[in-house]
Order: sequence, then C-alpha cells, then structure tokens
Amino acid sequence: MTTEIIKPLSTFIAAEILRQPSREIAADEKLISSGLIDSFSLMDLALFVEDTFGVQIDDTELNADTFDTLNALAELIQARL
Amino acid sequence: MSQKINLWRLLLKTFILFAIFNFAFTLLPFDSGSSISIYNNLIFGRERLPFGESPTQSYNLSLFDLDAMFASHIVTDTPKSENEYRVIVIGDSSVWGTLLRPEETLSGQLNRLNLSVRDKKISVYNLGYPTISLTKDLLVLEKAMQYEPDLLIWMLTLESFPADKQLTTPLVAHNIERVQKLDTAYDLHLDLNSDALLQPSFWDTTLIGRRRSLADWARLQLYGVMWGITGVDQLYPENYESAKTDFEKDELFHGWSPPELFLDQLAFDMVKAGFRITGEVPLILVNEPILISDGKNSDIRYNYFYPRWAYDQYRSIFSEMSLENDWAYHDYWDIVPAGEFTNSAIHLSSAGEAILAKAISEMILIEATR
Amino acid sequence: MTITQIAILAFVAIPLGWLTRKWQRVNLLLIISILIIFWLQPALPLRYLDFFLPTLSIGLTVLTWALTASPEVRHQKESKTSAVITLCVIFFLATTRYLNFDNFLTPTRPPPIGQVLFLLAIFVVGTFLLARQKSSSSNTLLWAGFTVLVILFIILKTPALALIASRGWRLFIGQNASLASSSDIYWLGYSYLAFRLIHTIRDRQSGRLPDVALGEYLTYVIFFPSFSVGPIDRVERFIKGLRQLESAYSDDILVGGQRLVVGLFKKFVIADSLAMIALNPLSATQAQSPLGAWVLLYAYAFQIFFDFSGYTDIAIGLAQFLGISLPENFKQPYRKSNLTLFWNSWHITLTQWFRAYFFNPFVRALRKSRKLSAGMMILVSQLVTMSLIGLWHGVMWSFVLWGLWHGIGLFVQNRWSGWAKTRLAGASLSTRTRRILSLLGIALTFNYVALGWVWFVLPNPSQGWQFILLLFGGA
Repeated sequence: MTTEIIKPLSTFIAAEILRQPSREIAADEKLISSGLIDSFSLMDLALFVEDTFGVQIDDTELNADTFDTLNALAELIQARL
Repeated sequence: MSQKINLWRLLLKTFILFAIFNFAFTLLPFDSGSSISIYNNLIFGRERLPFGESPTQSYNLSLFDLDAMFASHIVTDTPKSENEYRVIVIGDSSVWGTLLRPEETLSGQLNRLNLSVRDKKISVYNLGYPTISLTKDLLVLEKAMQYEPDLLIWMLTLESFPADKQLTTPLVAHNIERVQKLDTAYDLHLDLNSDALLQPSFWDTTLIGRRRSLADWARLQLYGVMWGITGVDQLYPENYESAKTDFEKDELFHGWSPPELFLDQLAFDMVKAGFRITGEVPLILVNEPILISDGKNSDIRYNYFYPRWAYDQYRSIFSEMSLENDWAYHDYWDIVPAGEFTNSAIHLSSAGEAILAKAISEMILIEATR
Repeated sequence: MTITQIAILAFVAIPLGWLTRKWQRVNLLLIISILIIFWLQPALPLRYLDFFLPTLSIGLTVLTWALTASPEVRHQKESKTSAVITLCVIFFLATTRYLNFDNFLTPTRPPPIGQVLFLLAIFVVGTFLLARQKSSSSNTLLWAGFTVLVILFIILKTPALALIASRGWRLFIGQNASLASSSDIYWLGYSYLAFRLIHTIRDRQSGRLPDVALGEYLTYVIFFPSFSVGPIDRVERFIKGLRQLESAYSDDILVGGQRLVVGLFKKFVIADSLAMIALNPLSATQAQSPLGAWVLLYAYAFQIFFDFSGYTDIAIGLAQFLGISLPENFKQPYRKSNLTLFWNSWHITLTQWFRAYFFNPFVRALRKSRKLSAGMMILVSQLVTMSLIGLWHGVMWSFVLWGLWHGIGLFVQNRWSGWAKTRLAGASLSTRTRRILSLLGIALTFNYVALGWVWFVLPNPSQGWQFILLLFGGA
C-alpha cells in the first residue's frame, strides 16, 4: 500500500525539488535532516501532498521529528487517508 | 540492580582518581624560577609588571606569582645585546605609573629621550610595582638581577620605610619562601613569624589548594591576549579624586609624634641589603618627588602621607646615611610642582614625569659615562 | 545562573528524581519548580516586583491553560488539586515576610500579604471565568491571549517601553520615578515562557493540542531546569516523558551527570575564559589591528556558543535527573557546510518554533496567493523570519541587522544551491573534491556567522560598521 504513496512522492521530489528527474530516492533516505529538502521545498511537498492525497500536513509537522524519510511520510499520509 | 552498583562504583572511582591527581600536584616542581607564558612568545611582553584591580576593564590583574609576573614582562624577552646599556627602575606605584600610559611613565619617558652613551643605546625597563614596602622592592630587585642590568635606579619615599609597612603588602605576604631566603641571605631581621605572612600548608600545595594561583596564571595569559590586541593595561578613568591638600592639625606619622623618628623602626637595613644584592652593578637611590601642598594646615603637613617634621628628618637621615655608607643618592623631593600630581601625593602627571625624567636622564648619563 | 545556583539545583534534582519516581510525580515537580522560579528571579530595584513577576509567570500560565484546555479537562479533579497546591505554595512564600526567613526563598522581602492575595484573587477569578465556559475557547479569545503575551514581550524587550513600564511601576508603588531605567524589569524566563504559551494557544487553534491537566501544563511551562535558559520544548513531547519514565534512575543520574559536567565545563571554563578576550562594545573600540579584531571576533563566536550550549547541557542534565529528556538545542553548528544547515543546528528549538508558528504559515500563505515570484517569496520570507528571530533577542536595530544579515545569507545560499543543483547534478565529483568543497563551505559559513555576531554584540550599528572596516583593514 505505502509503495503506491511513495512512488508519486519520490517522483515529485526528484523532478520538482531536486531537479534531477532520473534520481532515485530511497524510502529510508534522510530528506530533511540531511539538508536535501530545505524549508521552502518542504512547503511545496506539503502542498503537493494536500493536492494529491487530500491529506493535511500541519505547519507544526513540517520537521524532521515528524517525518524525515519517504517511509515515515507515507505512513503519516496512510494514517490520515 | 547491577546498574545501581555501576553508578556508585563510577562515583567512587572518580573520587579516587581526583584525589590522586590532586595530591600528585604537590610533587610538581613549581619553584623552578621560570614560568610558561604566552608573553614574549605569541604576544609582546608587558611594559610593566602585571597589577590591576578591575581586570575585565584593564586587562590586567594582581597576582602573587613573581615568576609568572616577570615572565609576562618585556624585560625577559631578549638577552641583552652588545650595544645595549640596560637600566632597570624599581619602586612603588609612582614608578609603575598609576593613571599613566606605559609611554608616559618615568621609564617610558626616559626611553623616548633616546639616550645613548659610547655607541650603546640606553634602554630603560619599568619594574615598579604598586604598594609601598621596601621588602617588596627587594623581592623585585633580587629577581631583576637575572636580567643583566648595567644600572639600577631605586625610587624611594619615607612611607615605604616604617617597619609596619614591610610584610603586609600582598606580594610579600604570599611569598614567604622568598622572604625567608632574603632574610637569611642579607640579615634583614624581619619578623618571619608575623601573622601578616601566609604560611602555606601541605594542603595549599595540592591542586585544590593551588586553584587560585593556577587561575591567576591562566587569567594573566588570557588578559595578555587583550594587552596584545588593545595595548591597554590599566583603567584610565575620566575623573578621579585629586590628592588631598587640606589637612587636620595632625602631626602623627605612623603613630609617632614629634620631635624624633625612631631610626630602628625605619627599614634602612633593606637599603643596605639592596646594595649587597646588586654587588658590582651600580645602584642609585632616588628620593622621589612628593606633593608639597599649599592648603589648610600645610605648615604642619606636606601632604596626606607626611607631617613636615617627619619628612624633613627623614631627608636629613637619608643624606647622612648615604654619606656614611657611600651610597649614590639623589634627593628629588621638591622638583615637581604641586599642579603635576594626580590622585596621590606621589603620583605624577605625564608632565610631572617629564620633569623627573629629565633630571634622571642627566643622572644616568653621568653614571654611564663613568 | 551562577555555579552555586546550579550546584544547589543539582542537589535538589538528584533526590527529587528518585522521589518523583515513587510518588506524586507531577505535584512534586510542580511545587519545587514554583519555589525555584521565585528563588532564581534576581532582585530588582522596583519594590516587590521580583515577587510579582514569578507570580505573574504562574498566573499567566494558569490562565493560558484555562484558555486552551478542552471543557472536559478543565473540570478534572486533579487540575483542581494542582490549582490549590499552586495557590498554597505562593501563599506560603508570601508569608515568609512575616516569618523569620524572608530573603531565603525569595530575592527580597515579599510584599504585604494583602497585595499578594489581591493579585491571586484576580487570577483565580480569571481562571474560573475561562474554565466555566461550556465549550472550547473561541478563536477571538485565543487571539486575545496571544496578543497579551506578545504585547508583554514587546514591552519587556523594547528599551523605551521598558523604561515607561519601570516609571509606571515606580509611580504606582511610590518609588522615585526619576530613577527609572530600561533595565529595571528583568523578568526571569519570560522569553521562553511566552513562547511555550503561544505554542499551546496556536496548537489549540489548529486543534492539535493534546489534553493536558493543569499540573502537567504548569510543570511543562515553568519546569525549573529549562525555565530561564530553554530549550523550548513542545508540550506533547514533554508530557510523554512526564507521564512515562523511559529509563532507570541510575541511568538517568549517569547520563544526566555526564551532561551536567560537560555543560559546566563548557560554560564556566571555556566560555568564561573566552569571555575575557571576546568582542564587546568596549574592546571593539580598543583593537589596534585587523588581526587583533579577528581574534576578538572569533573569541566571541566561540564564547557565545560554549556559553549557550553549556547552559543547555546543564538544563538537559538536570532534567535527566528528573527522568525527563529535553530536546537538543545545538548540534555542532559551527561544523555545518552551509547557512541553512547552521540554522538547523543553532538554537534549534527556537528556530523550530519560528518555523512552525511563523515561517510555515507565512510561506503557505504566500505560496497560495501566488502574488510573488519564487525568488521574491524566498527573499521576503527569509528576511522577515530572521528579523523576527533577531527581535526575539531585543527590540533594537542591532538585532534587526543581525537578523537581516542571516536572512540575506540564507537567501543567497538558497539561490546558489538551487543554481548549483542543476549545474552539478550530472557532474561526478571525487570524494576528495567533495571533502574540500565541504571544508570550504564550513569555513565560509563559520566566517559569515562570525561576521554576523558583530551586529549582534555591538548595540550601535555604526560602531558595528566601524568594526567591520577594521576587520578588513579599512579603518
């Protein structure tokens, strides 16, 4: 189930945030604490999640403590679907 | 359960290790006569001995470790060269230069005169140290001999002679071993059992006991960085209280009333010892300038320190003793006008120091050409 | 906090950590925290204010709890018990005026009991009125609470307003108003307290605030290890540790003890030594050469780090004695290879607070309005956020400049890395090249941050500019 969620997320991050469409992002790769995604892109990601899955991610949740990997983000989305 | 035991074990081990470390400190040789210092290595040495009561602003502090103090002074920097004629000036705060920048002090002004004699450049070092005590001067003088002076100038004033002034100054009180050595070597008849002298116990030689002097040493080094960066070694207040010129009708001097000073209560022994310490190297004694007040009751007192009768008598005793012992002695007590004193009856302004420096430069040139 | 105060806190925390594992965890922590925030509050030249300010800290916290708690929680019995305990402790402190040990638990002699009771009565009535509501507080009421906290913050942090406040208090209490100074009102811990309270108000508005009893809430806000020096924890995180112990007592003592020792060493040995040679408004004017000026500046950069992170270690260590893990505030910030990573590891809990309650909502709004280009949006949001973080330290131009300095730095770095990302994406760099680039980044970031401290430490911007000129040999 979560792979279905991860796929569009990883495509979005690679193409829109990192601007490297061919880049593969591992499901357990650290996104926020590693500096891969900055605070602006994080908001883009949140808006993308809202549009795509209809799931709200609160402003207070946009941090490495809440989710730092695709796995964790997918779980968060899953729980709110 | 096992973790609890670990905790107590850890605490016990820490305590034992610390105790061993603490007492191992007593074995370390601290009186080797030298001190590790960043001065004269990373930064220039100080132009006067460290002394200061408000360290955070003056980047200077008072400590009791003479070795560390000398190690921070520029005099220890380079060995004397062939064409240097080295003059060292010792004495109290008037030599050190309270309220004066290093270049304004007596030594600073002498250096600015660019004196030379027989192709030798005359360089003057300020080893004055605030607080008035001949015993303190002797401690400095003895240490100063290591730095190969060609001439020593010792600035003196009556206030540093009374027996009760000898041991109470902190630098003396905290250096009992050095004082003992001086006393034995030069028969000073000091009261070594005096309460003023602090007797170190075994405990004082451990790490905990030494924490104050270690911290002082570290602070001296850190403030050295600030001295190097700013060139500041003293707090220069915009306003200070001028030396008193009005007095009560008080004729007492250290509890003595006129007409006579007790010669046995004046530490002329120290002066004699000074000549024995310097040996072959010429030593010149100078009775330093004092403020001659023109205010209320100034017919009775010259200034805050001195009733006239006592000071006049001291001058005549001093010149008699000098003749008797064949001491080189100059009396400059009245060469600086009253307007050139700052916050004390012995502290000169920069212009006052210039007057004194001129007189002393002539004296140096005569001595150096001899 | 002085080293003596910290030693006393440690001696209190160690047995307290053991006791609270067995019995009355929340109430004991609450009682001790109340006593300690009164004890830590420095004496003030304004009469009785050093008693009223800690009282206000507690009063505001209770009011905010009543404002934010859900109706069911407001009426729980345990919250009533905590309220009574709190009143009793403050009342007891006030009575020390009449016993023979005033000045022992409070900085100066407490005010007459009537005045204390009057203030307490105001809080009791206010809390009662808020708690009586049948439903959750309205959004307007929550915003009102938010506004009160922010206004108090601005008054305390703006020298001109603090002066007026001091004058006002002097007139009110009958002291000489002409002696008023802007530094009269030192309200211990308010900067952190206000941010904890605002966090709960905003989380109530977004419906994310967990149910917290009054005792837990108060303990969270005035928890003595972090009361005056941070970190700014989040309530849901804090109460987890409060409700459930995660490790054995002896482990907590070991871990906390190590942390405490590290913190003491950082603060009282390293930072206090560096303070002797660190840049300050006086030494800035005395430095004679660029080299000397750089030494002063670097010394300051390390002093502020060791000082603040040392205090944080002390807070974390003391909290660990009590079985509570506080969040980290610093993660080797000077070893980060760009400014964004620096700000992810410097005063972390403050930047996270700003991110959650200002930056993210602000960026979300800008993104949705689509009025600004991406570049402009990034510039504006960085400048505004960083200026606000600057102002948190005090409402002064120097702090704004410091904030702007970092805002500009973050913007430039963001643009640069965006540019580099597309260019360097294909390039395969050797590990060695990466290592060198990373070291260059660290050096650049550190120096940028260090230069920023010039604005932070020198209250007068023109003096700051003079010093920058000196650093680069132009003065």
